[in-house]
Amino acid sequence: MKTRLRIKGKKLWLLCAVVLLGISLSCCYLIINSVNQPASAVVGSTVSITVNATSHTNSSGTAHMIFGILAPKGWNLSKNAKVTYTSSKGNGNMTLIPAAIINNHAGGLSWAAYMKSFFGLEGNLIDDMEWIPFQSDAIITYANGDLMTVAINIQITNIGADNNPTLVKLAYVIANDVNAFTFDGNDGDSSPTSEYYNEFTTPCFSLTGGTGDLVDFCNPQLTTIDPPKSLDNDIVTLTYNNNIVSTPLGTNAANPAVYICATATTSDGKTLNACTPGPKTMMTQTSAGSGVYQITFWPKALFGATTGQSIVSMTYYITNQAGTIQVGYGNTAAAFTYKFKCL
Amino acid sequence: MNIQFTLKKNICLLVACIAFVWTSCRLEKISPVAESAKDITGTWKVISATRNGTNLIPVFDFSQFNIKFDASAGTYSLVNPVPFIIAADGKFALDDPNFPFKITFTATGSSSVTTVFNYPIVSGARQITLTFSPGCAQNSYVYTLIKK
Repeated sequence: MKTRLRIKGKKLWLLCAVVLLGISLSCCYLIINSVNQPASAVVGSTVSITVNATSHTNSSGTAHMIFGILAPKGWNLSKNAKVTYTSSKGNGNMTLIPAAIINNHAGGLSWAAYMKSFFGLEGNLIDDMEWIPFQSDAIITYANGDLMTVAINIQITNIGADNNPTLVKLAYVIANDVNAFTFDGNDGDSSPTSEYYNEFTTPCFSLTGGTGDLVDFCNPQLTTIDPPKSLDNDIVTLTYNNNIVSTPLGTNAANPAVYICATATTSDGKTLNACTPGPKTMMTQTSAGSGVYQITFWPKALFGATTGQSIVSMTYYITNQAGTIQVGYGNTAAAFTYKFKCL
Repeated sequence: MNIQFTLKKNICLLVACIAFVWTSCRLEKISPVAESAKDITGTWKVISATRNGTNLIPVFDFSQFNIKFDASAGTYSLVNPVPFIIAADGKFALDDPNFPFKITFTATGSSSVTTVFNYPIVSGARQITLTFSPGCAQNSYVYTLIKK
């Protein structure tokens, strides 16, 4: 005689609902819901930013809340940012985590280096940025199933301390010092995320004013300089990318190499030129047809500065081998500019 | 008697054992070998160079650059200079001639610069590794030199 499992339709739905509820209760997540940040600010002003997050726990314990900001190094946010939090578990301050503190998950790295290696530059294009790690001064106690809301408030004073107008994608991460940047293993469940952390990258933030050159972390540039901050006694690599827009130089194949035509201004007010296409000014293609051309030079030697002369800035064009075609800033007739400074 | 003989035999054996034990150990006085003074006299060239961790050797010509040390006179001179810890010729000094950890360069007419001095033996040859920032302080360069 056959026995049949007899479940009525109504009870089946009830069973499914209980199972789903059980799954959702067993999950945890941390998510940044929103970031209230102005779209632009003026160099030297004070900017307030709020990062709103929700955290749901699936176990009990204690931990410090960790918060990280990705910003240009020149802003010096480890000194110029004050971070506080208000949460359903109480309010408090967040303090800078010293470089000597390392997390078990960090493989011997400091929190700042751990964030940089884990999240990178979050879509920014110039590697002159740093993650600044903070932790709550209070230890937060949580129970299984707790739902915690938190608002992290960042006040940046003297924004753009390096005095450069800037376009940058600021990014934020919230985590805790016990789990750091790990997953809960319940991937694909009903939680919004399966991570014990959550990062949030904002649209391009515009910092205006300032006396320096525009630093554009957001948009691909025809030319980039590495290191981004350098003096005339550094060894500088200038890269030209012919793939950004269609330039008068034409195709990559037509230009096995391009040349730099540069004029330097010295501290004693003189100008020095390096504008003759030749081995000294040649930018070689990184690989045939790549359209990426590079020259690595010592500014003092390229311009022939004397011992007592220091070069404060340079303007330059990218030219073809004959020197008859020039490409300038933003593919215009204006020259690219670069100031030799450390901030 | 038999007992007396055995006793005597045992005493003899004991004395012999003590004698053996006594003479088996010999205190040797080893005088430590003096560490030789590190003589870096000679002409050195760059075999490895990095800027903030990026290898510069394929993209920058270091082949013409040399530094000549003369330990007896305590001087150094640069040939075809490149960005380096110091820009002009002058005097140098190690913090300890036998166990140097730091090297100080003093270019004629300017202030001295001190950096960590690494002097390992790699593949049977001495190398000098110097870390410095000739331009902005945040840009760190590491040159490894080998004697020509």
